[in-house]
Amino acid sequence: MDFSYTAQEEQFRMELRTWLEENLPEGWLDGTFKMPEEQAAYGQFLRDWQKKPSDGRWAAIAWPAKHGGRDATLMEEIIYHQEMVRVKAPPLVNYVGLHMVGPTLMQIGTPEQQEKYIPKILSGEEVWCQGYSEPNAGSDLAAVQTTAVKDGDKWIINGQKIWTSYAHFGDRCFLVARTSKGEKKHHGITCFLLDMKQPGVEVRPIIQMDGEHDFNEVYFNDAIAYDSEVIGQVDDGWRVTIALLMHERTGIGAQVFSLEQQFDGLVGLAQTVKEDDVPIIQKADVRKRMLDLYIKSRGSLLNYYRNLTKQLKVGHPGVEGSMDKLFVSEVTKELFAEAISLQGHQGLLWKDDAVYGNSYWQKNYLYSFGQTIGGGTSEIQKNTIAERILGLPKDVGR
Amino acid sequence: MDFSLNQEQEMFREYVRKYLTDMEQTKVARDYTENKIEHVKAVLSELHELGCTQLNIPEKYGGMGLGKLDLVPIMEEMGRAIVPGLYLETSAFAVPIIEQFGTDEQKATYLPQVANGEASFTIAWLEPGRSYKQQGIQMSARLNGDVLVINGVKTQVPDVELAEYFIVPVLIDDEITLVIMDKKSSGITLREQKGFDETRKLTEVTFENVEVPMNQRIGAIGEGWSIIQEGLLSYNAALSSVAVGALEHIVEMASEYATIREQFGNPIGRFQAIKHRLVDMKLDLETARSLSYYANWALETSSEDRIEAICSARIFAIQAFIRTSAHNIQIHGGIGFTEEIDCHLFVKRARFYENYLGNMEQYYEQAITALNWEQTETAQEKETILSTN
Ligand SMILES: Cc1cc2nc3c(=O)[nH]c(=O)nc-3n(C[C@H](O)[C@H](O)[C@H](O)COP(=O)(O)OP(=O)(O)OC[C@H]3O[C@@H](n4cnc5c(N)ncnc54)[C@H](O)[C@@H]3O)c2cc1C
Repeated sequence: MDFSYTAQEEQFRMELRTWLEENLPEGWLDGTFKMPEEQAAYGQFLRDWQKKPSDGRWAAIAWPAKHGGRDATLMEEIIYHQEMVRVKAPPLVNYVGLHMVGPTLMQIGTPEQQEKYIPKILSGEEVWCQGYSEPNAGSDLAAVQTTAVKDGDKWIINGQKIWTSYAHFGDRCFLVARTSKGEKKHHGITCFLLDMKQPGVEVRPIIQMDGEHDFNEVYFNDAIAYDSEVIGQVDDGWRVTIALLMHERTGIGAQVFSLEQQFDGLVGLAQTVKEDDVPIIQKADVRKRMLDLYIKSRGSLLNYYRNLTKQLKVGHPGVEGSMDKLFVSEVTKELFAEAISLQGHQGLLWKDDAVYGNSYWQKNYLYSFGQTIGGGTSEIQKNTIAERILGLPKDVGR
Repeated sequence: MDFSLNQEQEMFREYVRKYLTDMEQTKVARDYTENKIEHVKAVLSELHELGCTQLNIPEKYGGMGLGKLDLVPIMEEMGRAIVPGLYLETSAFAVPIIEQFGTDEQKATYLPQVANGEASFTIAWLEPGRSYKQQGIQMSARLNGDVLVINGVKTQVPDVELAEYFIVPVLIDDEITLVIMDKKSSGITLREQKGFDETRKLTEVTFENVEVPMNQRIGAIGEGWSIIQEGLLSYNAALSSVAVGALEHIVEMASEYATIREQFGNPIGRFQAIKHRLVDMKLDLETARSLSYYANWALETSSEDRIEAICSARIFAIQAFIRTSAHNIQIHGGIGFTEEIDCHLFVKRARFYENYLGNMEQYYEQAITALNWEQTETAQEKETILSTN
């Protein structure tokens, strides 16, 4: 066993750290920076930010150098996650583009598609969203009903998507649509690289339970996609869909390191919160609950390291990623739930009246409910683990 | 980064697993419950031949001179088959403390015996009505020249039948001191006790004017408690691996049953109530394994966080063992509730460990103290780190 980093890896870390110090928004590191409140300004801030790492080749380090990446090793990716979490770098608005669409294009896209889209994904010039879920096709993704009908060299698209994150900033959408009715619902699906800035596309905001607006409903009324915007083969989109979802897992590392940081914060909280002048960390049952969480958050980090070791050895990610996703999202949810409990009645105040942590705990508590739903619910992860790791029979209907 | 056991370690596992599989895994434990002691001893001696007992003993005392991490696969295999006996007490408690605190003479006496498969140690610690805490040790020994004279009772001492020596904490001048005692010393009476984990046999040991030479003491008078603490670190790291082995076996056995047992025209593993429970069990297993590998690594490298790492691994692995072994019965339905199949053996063994050599509450406190959360200097800082942005 060896938890050390090579000199080369440490050098990579220092290089990134230095770059971050020089390039993070003014006031970011000392905490004086304030995010723009208003949506459009916030969107602009995110786009401006993404330009910087992209110029510095720090936006998609795992990508091949010829596409503007660094051919990063898996270990370098880990270090990247650690450092980004450490400084709590602003999010990359083109997350879907960078982590899902880009790699899928490299895998399946035509040379023309790669040339046309990849550079703009990297620079943030074109922000992507992911049009999978529909009102009646969530966990059962293959039940998509949005239709694309062939008309000359065009496809006419009608239907509705839902929960589409960042669609309101989106220039393009990785869209899953039905192109024919096959015998099986997995057949007859096609993936499109759809232009969002056209008259047939309408985006309506959905406000989440944390009061934020990240995701949306998207309506297609005779929207148009061209043949050149089909990725993979017509009617064979299920394969492409799965390929894209495989890339979605890459964010786990960042979550695991965030969890570690959040746990430290929770300790700080338990030391700060007082009940009748006594810090609650002095209560035995609080300490016990904290230790349970400590063990679980250490457990998710160590599980992740163990899977990573396996990946380093076999050269590609395995289905164990589902276990990491399941565990880390569930533990995150427990952690923030605990943070609310620990504050007692004070935990119920937020925004300007928040007593501790500037609403950090309240916001994240509410946000954490989405983590065990988005990217495949915990139940669906469990089905996958049961079938692919434990070898149990397939679930009914799958 | 490499968070895995190495090839040699995995190979060693294969030998031990193959041997125990040939011996029908839990059959050894069942033989023990049926008092077929000679069968059990034969298996233990084969395990010794494979190298299990020599492994962590220095070469100059007849061992292989390997480290703590090398014990991990053996411990896991022992847990899989819930092998009876004192492997843990001997290799993960007695050997490390003799090596660390024993005199040259003690090392030369005891370590080769363990390496040769001639000696096992059991721990005679608990006293009737008392706890495994420091204040639980009340039995006192009187110094008479060069000899200690011991009177009193120890209870729930495991597997005395398989042991040659006792490690006994006693009070000398009100200070905890550890002595090694030959089981055959005169003045010792044994009374079998009934425990529901019949794969561990418990005995009440009464000492009546038992005389032990002073040179049988490990460490100085009054150092007993801190020596025990050191011993427990290595014991508990190893125990977490034993639990992992047991967990692994349970998850396999339950998954396999869920794929063959049919109800309502389907394998029960198709029902999510069963399926999802199995996944929870699997997550428990893998998390216990990660924590336990890390704990053993922390022990081997004397890493700064070893106390919390080891306590965490023990707490989580034993709790997971209790949970998972209980789920296993439920998944098996009626047959799971019988003596016939193995499910119950694991439940009982899990409960044996829950309170053996310290309880959950103690390990929680120990980890929490090591983490130093009550010191609030850094509190504000930690919290503000997060709350900006
Ligand atoms: C924060 C967030 C961001 C998202 N971003 C996007 C995005 O950008 N693009 C996009 O396309 N989608 C996005 N989604 C949608 C997400 O992928 C779906 O919400 C998710 O797949 C679940 O689908 P659903 O909401 O229709 O729930 P349903 O599928 O209706 O599930 C409801 C409940 O039933 C359970 N269930 C369903 N099927 C089974 C089964 N077979 N076995 C057991 N239980 C089952 C579920 O686990 C859940 O508990 C996002 C969701 C969230 C929360």
